[in-house]
Amino acid sequence: MFNRTSKFGKAGFGKAGLLLCTAVLAAAPAILSPVAFGQTSASKAERWLHVRVVNSDNKGEIVRVNVPLELAESVLPTINKEHLHNGKLTIDQAHLNDVDLHALMNAVRNAKDGEYVTVQGSDQDVRVAKEGGRLLVHVKDKSRGDHSKHSEVEVKIPMHVIDALFSAGKDELDIVAALHALAAQGDTELVSVKDQDNTIRVWLDSKNVGD
Amino acid sequence: MILLAKVALGVASTVAFATVYTFREGVIRVDVDESRAGGSHVHVWVPAAAVPIAVHFTPSRHFQDAGEKLEPWLPTIRQLTKELQKYPNADFVDVQDGAQHVQVRTRDGKLQVDVHEPGQYVHVAVPIDTIEDVAGEISDHIPGA
Repeated sequence: MFNRTSKFGKAGFGKAGLLLCTAVLAAAPAILSPVAFGQTSASKAERWLHVRVVNSDNKGEIVRVNVPLELAESVLPTINKEHLHNGKLTIDQAHLNDVDLHALMNAVRNAKDGEYVTVQGSDQDVRVAKEGGRLLVHVKDKSRGDHSKHSEVEVKIPMHVIDALFSAGKDELDIVAALHALAAQGDTELVSVKDQDNTIRVWLDSKNVGD
Repeated sequence: MILLAKVALGVASTVAFATVYTFREGVIRVDVDESRAGGSHVHVWVPAAAVPIAVHFTPSRHFQDAGEKLEPWLPTIRQLTKELQKYPNADFVDVQDGAQHVQVRTRDGKLQVDVHEPGQYVHVAVPIDTIEDVAGEISDHIPGA
């Protein structure tokens, strides 16, 4: 009996051990995968575009969208639908009322910092300016009378992002190039809209969750 | 006795190997719970590795319609899944509208969609690798793709 056990231990268990080792080795990639350790492969330099819409009516709708710029940059060129092709958006000239956007942007690019448009009306205040390498558009709608019902729109776009956007052909906007340029930007707020019921915010940072 | 032990260990190892192989890509999980009276409760767990294999052996005629609709989006799906793998734990979309709540996110390498609304809860979790594999299998079924 003892000999039998000894035999099993020397020869039999060797083969069984080999089989077990095979099973363990087969399982190793699954067990040792980064996911199993809860690691993320996302780099420190990743940039996220965040959109937050808060509707303060009785239901209190909140929409949060978080998109990694790298993901958007690599996925957009694969979408070929309607006006979007290879990451470029075709501009329909019929909706531009003969305004040459490229010439307009060239003029803005070459101009010095300062206020380009200032309109102060009874219904609306509009301000378009170039400051610190950014194009700023600020619109305040006062048509609702009561101060608390005024709406405000603020857009701050870095000039090099605008340059990248208009770097494609005459009737095209290069969305991918603009995203690429945006990725080089530090944390910044791009769009802010506030009115009586809604708050919309579009911003860029390195966090993978919105606020 | 020794032979029996060897056979038992061989079978056990094979079962362990098969289990690891089958579940190496995780599971696809679908939960639907309706909390109203007589509401349905569906809980499906499918080994993710089995789905591309099932798709592979499904006759092409069953994919004709789906394949035609999916074909223009296959490069997008492939690229999206490739990129999503870089973000195994991230929140992409979160919509709260009163009692309704929709979340699209990745958790532990799975694309997860959760929909909560009064009286109903839907949870779908699919390993990102599986989406890529299934897209590849479907594209193989499309003639000329």
